[in-house]
Parts: sequence; structure tokens; C-alpha cells
Amino acid sequence: MRKFIGKTVAVGAIAMLALTACGSGRDEGTSGSGSEAKGFPASSLIGVALPAKTSENWVLAGDLFTNGLKEAGFQADVQYAGASTTVADQQAQITAMVTKGAKVIVIGATDAAQLSTQVAAAHQAGAKVIAYDRLIVNSPDVDYYVAFDNFKVGQLQGQALLDGMKAKKPNGPYNIELFSGSPDDNNSKVFFDGAMSVLQPEIDKGTVVVASGQKDIKQTAIQGWKAEGAQARMDQLLTSTYGSKELDGVLSPNDTLARAIITSVKGAGKPVPVVSGQDSEVESVKSIVAGEQYMTINKDTRTLVKQTIEMVKALQAGNTPQVNDTKTYNNGSKVVDTFLLPPVAVTKANAAEAYANDPKLAPLTK
Amino acid sequence: MSRVKDLQKNLFGGTTSNARQFGMIFTLVAIVVLFQILTDGLTLRSDNLIALFQQNSYILILAIGMLMVIVAGHIDLSVGSIAAFTGILVAKAMAEWNLPWPVGILFGLAIGAVIGAWQGFWVAYIGVPAFIVTLAGMLLFRGGNQFIGNANTIPVPEGFRVIGSGFLPETGPNTGYNNLTLLLGLAGCIAVVWRELQARRTRKEMNAEPIPMWISILRMAVMVGVLIFVTLRFASGRVGTSFPVSGIILVALVLVYSFYTRNTAGGRHIYAVGGNSRAAELSGVKLKRVNFFVMMNMSVLAALAGMIFVARSAASGPQDGNGWELDAIAAVFIGGAAVAGGIGTISGSIVGGLVMAVLNNGLQLMGVGTDRVQIIKGLVLLLAVAIDVYNKSQGRFSIIGSLTRPFRRDTPAAPTPSSGAEREPAKTTVAG
Repeated sequence: MRKFIGKTVAVGAIAMLALTACGSGRDEGTSGSGSEAKGFPASSLIGVALPAKTSENWVLAGDLFTNGLKEAGFQADVQYAGASTTVADQQAQITAMVTKGAKVIVIGATDAAQLSTQVAAAHQAGAKVIAYDRLIVNSPDVDYYVAFDNFKVGQLQGQALLDGMKAKKPNGPYNIELFSGSPDDNNSKVFFDGAMSVLQPEIDKGTVVVASGQKDIKQTAIQGWKAEGAQARMDQLLTSTYGSKELDGVLSPNDTLARAIITSVKGAGKPVPVVSGQDSEVESVKSIVAGEQYMTINKDTRTLVKQTIEMVKALQAGNTPQVNDTKTYNNGSKVVDTFLLPPVAVTKANAAEAYANDPKLAPLTK
Repeated sequence: MSRVKDLQKNLFGGTTSNARQFGMIFTLVAIVVLFQILTDGLTLRSDNLIALFQQNSYILILAIGMLMVIVAGHIDLSVGSIAAFTGILVAKAMAEWNLPWPVGILFGLAIGAVIGAWQGFWVAYIGVPAFIVTLAGMLLFRGGNQFIGNANTIPVPEGFRVIGSGFLPETGPNTGYNNLTLLLGLAGCIAVVWRELQARRTRKEMNAEPIPMWISILRMAVMVGVLIFVTLRFASGRVGTSFPVSGIILVALVLVYSFYTRNTAGGRHIYAVGGNSRAAELSGVKLKRVNFFVMMNMSVLAALAGMIFVARSAASGPQDGNGWELDAIAAVFIGGAAVAGGIGTISGSIVGGLVMAVLNNGLQLMGVGTDRVQIIKGLVLLLAVAIDVYNKSQGRFSIIGSLTRPFRRDTPAAPTPSSGAEREPAKTTVAG
């Protein structure tokens, strides 16, 4: 008997829905286009879509956005993509933000080329789009891009690698190996090119040798920035190339991969080479202070998030956000106005100074 | 009492699997209503409904094929990889050979057919379990995707994107709605009424006990009401939007495959094979051909799903298709299919998929993170199947019970299914 009642209720519910919601017009959503330039209420919703929680930096950025936007009086909706279905998740999250009427959507893209449909929908609904850290490509609907100068990051990594190896062993030739980031992240190539702009002249001179011969970015790339990928590749390089040779340095694009590389080298019972990094992750800062990883890059997430929130505030007031590069970043459809922040190279020597303002990292350097 | 009983028997059909399906429809409505309240009316807003369909059409298309695979007693783990592999091939073919996009779609379907023939061959003619064949396929085609794409993200041309993110054009007089969507809705209403009248006529011709008129009218009213509601929602979105093209593809596939699995000999053979393959073979079902067909069909649908996703994303990327097989399989089981095969319906799987989709969407609208969304989805899957198993053991909605019912004394002359093709029985009256 109970199930019959259940069915009756269900039928009633369907009929109710049908009756109550009919007859709404179709003008919703179009209102945004007319009043774009005038800013928006200070309590509006700001959406932040970030990639999966694969690095500490993204988690920190998420927390900073949640708190920073709230302090500025906005409603914040900060979302991370799921671990396995990243792109589809992020697409759905951005669409949900548009539905909820977000005025600005900040996107740290998981795959910078697969969001143009969602970004277009956001624009049509009157939302501004800020690409955070990763430039969304092939879309005319990206309004601003805010990031650290990633070519500079690569240059600093390359230079630090050379300096570190020279400090350990005054004369070359030095044997090095190259690693680069995920091929679906368009920053990976920029880091790599930056580093190679410093290393290539030395390779040409013969003072630096890529002993395995794997110099092409297709060979050096680590899919998804995954630590296990880097560890496996390093294992194989050690077996294939460094049976008798000595490994002096490894170019690693970030800290997660750097630690994986060091783990691999230690596992093979070899001395730890000079390894570069990036992101100032806690474990890597510990490793630098302990003298294992040689360097990392401090791209202070606080500064980047702060700059992004400044942009949101400017948009809210109806002003044009401050940018410092309107020429370099062409995403395939347009040149995106960009605000670039300078990165800082950190080694054991300057760690205490570089992290003095960082509550989490400063104690580690003492 | 008799009216309630009439209603139970006739409104959504009286069979046990329909009862299970009805349970899912009820759950779906409950979830929609719940989120409609929790999100302050965002859930049923036009733009959200449109987004919901665009986001999930490819998973639902996979669920159609997966239902048939599971009913036949197999499983397919390779669909995500096949979708990714097809996506990258089609994207590259269009980028490098300047293939026009309609040819690109045909090319993609052909790739799906070839892959499906490959997998079907191993399953049906060599006899390797589908679990193994498709596990191999999962690795094979994921590797193929990366080999061909070099893990790059390759954009696809504007025309191609229609199948994933396109809408019906705005034509005709300005009615304040999208006219073509209205026409589609109207066609749907007419079809519902026509089908109901047709069913009544058939029953009359066969001298079967006629369904009471008021139930027919109520059933039509509910369905037409829902259709009108949905149509107006989809038609009243932002100008330029309508019922999405990917949704139309989905609806067309659901109609075709529902008809095929329900009303044709070929479709019933799938159920026969899944129910008892030995008995089916002895009854003259061409076992190998059925197995080959379901596996091949699945890959073609996976190829289509992959292309729709690529079209929606505007590019084919290295992470496409990750985890899709699990979403599709979950939809099928939530929709009432049996793990052992032989039981399940297309419409049930679609409802199952929609339950997951609405859950996902609603939680996202509330700003719940993906970590917690995954936890909730996992629990829902477990609960949905657990409730079914529990009901079975309690004798309610019972599948085993309905199997043995024809042999009870009060039903004379136990109707043994002549072809063995029906393991979804209970055409008999459900006795209280």
C-alpha cells in the first residue's frame, strides 16, 4: 500500500512542477550585455575554477581566493576539478558558475584549449573572464591574464643549474638531463624554452652534455605533471645512461617532479645531482635547507592571488584593471591583456631572506 | 483499492522491472525537487537544463550501448579510451587533411566500427571474456591517443562543434520562444497521445482487458504536462539557445534503441543471451552474432560520444575519456540492470544517468567541491543497488520472485517462454 501512495505523490509532484513553472519569458541572461562597462554590485558572486588538487600551490591559491574575496565583500565560489575527470569537471563547474550569475570568473585551466565553449557562454551571460596562471587559448572571450613571467622562470632555472654545478665541480663538461612539464599545459613549453635559452649556448660549446641525448620537449615531457611519471623516466635514464657516467644536474620544471627525480637517484644509490625546481612547496624547501634539492622558484601565490583580486575589484568599480603587457600573450584568437609578476630564484643561500614573509615557509629556513 | 490497483498496474506498466524503474523516476523527481529548493530555483532554469543536457549527453549515449553490453552479460571498460582515440584521430584528420567536418564525423563512426569489430571478434569468435578484451582495449587505445596526439590538445573547426555545443537555429515568427524547440515538443506530445491510442486499439483488437479510460487520460496528461514543461524551459533560454543538438542526437538514439531492444527479435536476442546463453543458443539464437553486435555497437557509440565531447570542448585533449566507462556503468546499474545480465532497459539507464547528472549539477550549483561530490555519488550508486538487492530478499519488486511466480498453483498452465527469449517476465498480473 505504501508504494501506491508513493506513486501518487510522485505523479502529483510531476504535475505540480509542470504547472508552476510554465510561462516564464525568455529574456533572462541577455541583460548582461547592455550594462557591462558600469561594474557590478560589491556583494556579487565571483567564481574561481582551479585544476585538481595535485600541487600544494593550487590548494593554497584556493584558500587565499576564498578568504581574499570574502574580505573584499564578494561572495566566493572556489572549485577544484576532480582527480580523474578534470576537464569535464571544470567545464561543468564554470557552467554552474555562469548559471549562478557570477560576475567575474577566474580560471586556472586544467586544459587551456578545451574551455572555449564555456568561456564564450560566460561572456554572453555578461561575466568577465580572468585566466589565472595558465592562458586559455583559442578563445576571443578571455578578458585578462594574470601570471608570473614564466619565460623568466625557465631562465632562472637554467642559470641556477649552471651556477650550482659550477659550485660543486669547477670544470665541465657537465652531464645533465632535461625534464619538462605536462604537454597539455601551455606553460610547460615556456618554462622549457626559457631554460634552454640559457642552457643551449653551453650545450653548443660542449661544456654541458645531455648524456641521454633526449633534448626534444616531446621526450622530456611528463604527462599531467605526475611525480610517478618523472620518477619512472629518471629510473630509466639512470639505467640506460648512467651506469658508469656521473650525473651532474637535472633540469626539473617544478618541485613535485624535482623530488621525484631525487627519490629516483637516491633509490639507485647515486649522489644527488643539482636539481632545479619551482613553486616553493614545503617539502622542497625542507629539501633545499637540508642540501638536497638545489633551487626552487618563489612565485609567491599570495602576490598572484592578491593581484587577481585587485583586478576583480577594479572590474567591480567599473574601471579597467591594471595590466603591464598588452603585446606578448596571443592566445590564437586575440592578444590578451596581461599582468606579469616577477619570479624569484631561491637556493639555500637566500632561502631565509626569500621566505621571510611566508608564515608557513619562514620557520623551515631557520 | 481497485482504483489504486488499476493505477499501479497500468500507469507505468505492471511489471517488476518497471516498478524498479518507477522507483528511479521517483528518485529523479525527488532529487530535482530537492535541488530546485536548495538552489533557489537554479536547477530548473532554462540555461541550467540546457547545460545539464550538454554536459551529460555523451555519458548517456555511452549508457545506451553499455546497457546492451551489460544485458548481454558482458562489460566494456574501453569506452573512454575509444572515445579519446576517435576524438584525436578525427581532430587530427580535420586539421591536417582538411577533411570537411561531416566527413570527419563519418570517419569517426567508421573508426568506432573498426575498433568495435576488433573487440567483437575477440569476444564473440575467440571467446576471450569481454572484461579482458576491453581492459586490453582501454590500454591500447589510451596509448594510441597519446601516440597520435603526442599528448597535445588539437582544436576542431567551428562546424564540427555543432554536435557538441550547437543549438537549433532561430526561425519563423518571434514568439518569444525558440520555434524549432516548440515544434519538437509538439511532435513529442502528439507521439505520446498517438502511442496511447494505438496501445488501446491493440488491446481491443487482441480482446485484452481494456485499460480504464481515466488511467489513459491521466497517463497522457502527466506525460504531456512534463513534455510541455520541459519544452517551454528549453525554448525560453537566452536567444540563440534551444534544446541542444547533442540532446537531439541523444533523444533520437534513445528512441531507436528502445524500439530495437523492446520490439525486435534482434533486440530480444540480447536479453536471451544475457539470461541464459546456452538456452538461447539451443533455441536458435546466433550467440556469436549477438555478442559481436553488442560489442561493436558499443564502440560506435563510444566514438560518437567522444566526438560530441571533443565538439563541446572545441578541442581534443589527452585527458578526454578518463573515467567515462565508470560513469556509464554506474548509470546502467542505478537504472536497474542486473549485474549478471539479462535484465535492464534503455530508459532505465537514461534515468539512472540523469539521477547522477542532476546530483552532480545540483551539488556543483551549491558549491560543493568535487571531492565530496565523488563521495556522495559513490554512496548513491551503492545504495541504489543495495536497495534493489534488499527488496529482492524481502519479496518486494522481486526479480527472483517474479521468475517463480508463473509456477504457482493459482496461475494455471505455466507459460514457458517458447523462445527462451524472455527473461524479463511477469507479463502476468502482479498479485498484491
